[in-house]
Amino acid sequence: MNDHSQPPQDTGGQIPITTAAGFYPRTAGALSHGLAPGFLRSAEVHADRPALQVAGQTLSYRNLHDLAARLAAAIHQHHTSEPPLTAVFGSRSVNAYAGVLGALLAGHGYVPLNPAFPPDRTTTMLLRSECGSLIVDSAAEAQLPEILPRLPTPTLIVVPDRSDISDYQRLWPQHTFIGAAELSSAAGMIEPPNPAADDVAYLLFTSGSTGVPKGVAVSHRNVGHFVRSSIARYGITQFDRFSQTFDLTFDLSAFDMFVAWEAGACLCCPSRKALLNPAHFIQDSRLTVWFSVPSVALVMRALGSLKPGAFPTLRWSLFCGEPLPADLADAWACAAAQSTLENLYGPTELTIACTAYRWDRQRSLSECERNIVPIGYPLEGMEPLVVDDNMEEVQPGDEGELLMTGPQLSLGYWRDAEKTAAAFITPPGKQHTYYRTGDRVVRPLDSDPLRFRGRLDHQIKVQGYRVELQEVEALLKQEAGSDLAVAVGWPITPSGAGAIEAFLTSNRVDLEVVRDRLKARLPRYAVPRKIHLIDQWPLNSNGKIDRKQLVRWLEAKI
Amino acid sequence: MSAGSGEYVRSLILSRLEQSLLDTGLDPAMVDDNFDLLTGGVIDSLGVVELISSIEQQLGVALDLTELDPEQLTVLGPLSRFIENQYAQSTQSRRFA
Repeated sequence: MNDHSQPPQDTGGQIPITTAAGFYPRTAGALSHGLAPGFLRSAEVHADRPALQVAGQTLSYRNLHDLAARLAAAIHQHHTSEPPLTAVFGSRSVNAYAGVLGALLAGHGYVPLNPAFPPDRTTTMLLRSECGSLIVDSAAEAQLPEILPRLPTPTLIVVPDRSDISDYQRLWPQHTFIGAAELSSAAGMIEPPNPAADDVAYLLFTSGSTGVPKGVAVSHRNVGHFVRSSIARYGITQFDRFSQTFDLTFDLSAFDMFVAWEAGACLCCPSRKALLNPAHFIQDSRLTVWFSVPSVALVMRALGSLKPGAFPTLRWSLFCGEPLPADLADAWACAAAQSTLENLYGPTELTIACTAYRWDRQRSLSECERNIVPIGYPLEGMEPLVVDDNMEEVQPGDEGELLMTGPQLSLGYWRDAEKTAAAFITPPGKQHTYYRTGDRVVRPLDSDPLRFRGRLDHQIKVQGYRVELQEVEALLKQEAGSDLAVAVGWPITPSGAGAIEAFLTSNRVDLEVVRDRLKARLPRYAVPRKIHLIDQWPLNSNGKIDRKQLVRWLEAKI
Repeated sequence: MSAGSGEYVRSLILSRLEQSLLDTGLDPAMVDDNFDLLTGGVIDSLGVVELISSIEQQLGVALDLTELDPEQLTVLGPLSRFIENQYAQSTQSRRFA
């Protein structure tokens, strides 16, 4: 099962590569798990092929491997504490990606931290993860003064872009610093990583309902299964070129990185600015695999960039992270006419994505509901279960909460047994642990796809009546001719909400007229009592509309 | 000031974003052409969608901003001028159609 458990008898299995970091053995042959082995194999077989395009640079597998190997050697030499986790504090830079690989080559899991988050939040994540090592790119270095004094235990801080670390060492003597000079002179041979299948490959923080971020621990077994089944599903080869639209703190970024690197393909990361309208980026980078949240496509359409045939190099167009509108899927499918479009679905707790729906122009429009593309069918090995409030399976055609189990079921919440026990449950009569997604779906009849109906917490009771906020939003969008609308329950009452209030940014419509039309289509209690016009949507760190912020805004108005 | 001049589009943008500018502590009358609405925290990517569709509505044309460098897409001056040119071309082609 674990090829690494047998040390190679001779150098036939290991090819020492001379780097500035000394000898770093690369291991030939497929391994059963772990993310590093796939990259190492590509670094050996495709050494001169491009592995990463970012910040105006293109790195070959050899270049990227050598950078990562130096970081791994530094971690290996100086990291002494448990747990074997290394945080990577950076975004859209060579060293952010080399850092992810460096952590993995050192046999660690990586914990991505985002320079766009408030330093307070980043510090909380570091403290909760108990990381003993931190790799920091040049842009993120500016935030160190706000973070390092608050780390109670000595930490290894690797700053690959900094030539002189004496300032840092003087300011924060409790920590150990490794800069560019130390990295280039780092030497020594380290063993190839040999993580157990259930060791953490990455630890990713998601926002918790209480406001304290929860760390989702994803194992090598989880992500290894996903990566290898994705390569088979999409027929990925070394000639593919992947987009990387996501920040490292969004788990969908792991699809791009590890599927590409396992297959010897190239990861192409646009700047944050280029991501605003990546039409030229797709063309100039000759991307073959596109993966983003639907919002990116929504902006591109508004800017007039989804022209039929615009993206002839794309083979795959993948969307995930929020509901995909059918008209947007159709427009994208015309722009990327040679590509197959899929709508993926999956919470972080189930490792990147666990269902997929393949868009087909003839069939799909009739399978969409309220202009939303279905989330489709379980990916390889994943088993859904649609249940009622008692965790009993509902009848086909009925609606319930989606539970899911399978090889991508993650380890749970990092060092939080209570939250893990609440979300990872064994339903009555079942043998396996399932994850409660909190998402409502319809249990399919026959060969129907799964359809997303909304979050459990978006179904609220207003004066005792059940109201589906997504339905209110869908009708409001139609009546206002707007791409986006949000409805929330307000004011909050012990039994739910007193009424509905809604938000729009369109200024083209008479709100009273819209309300009158909604009265004709919705029960009285579901008609928004007030529609607020706002200048812009508050977004959470993953670029999704932050509903809680809208509610806080209503609270502040009283 | 005629519809479609750079100044006109600029004033449309500023009036549309007046409240956001004030909320960010900026005086709409003092914002210069190099001001980046995105990095300046006045709009986000979905705000771009709303801004563009509002300008399209007011000018009565469908805009195509594909050829505007994304680096400049949210910079007040270049954005205003790009839209101005496109508007001028569309009204011209309509006149000669």
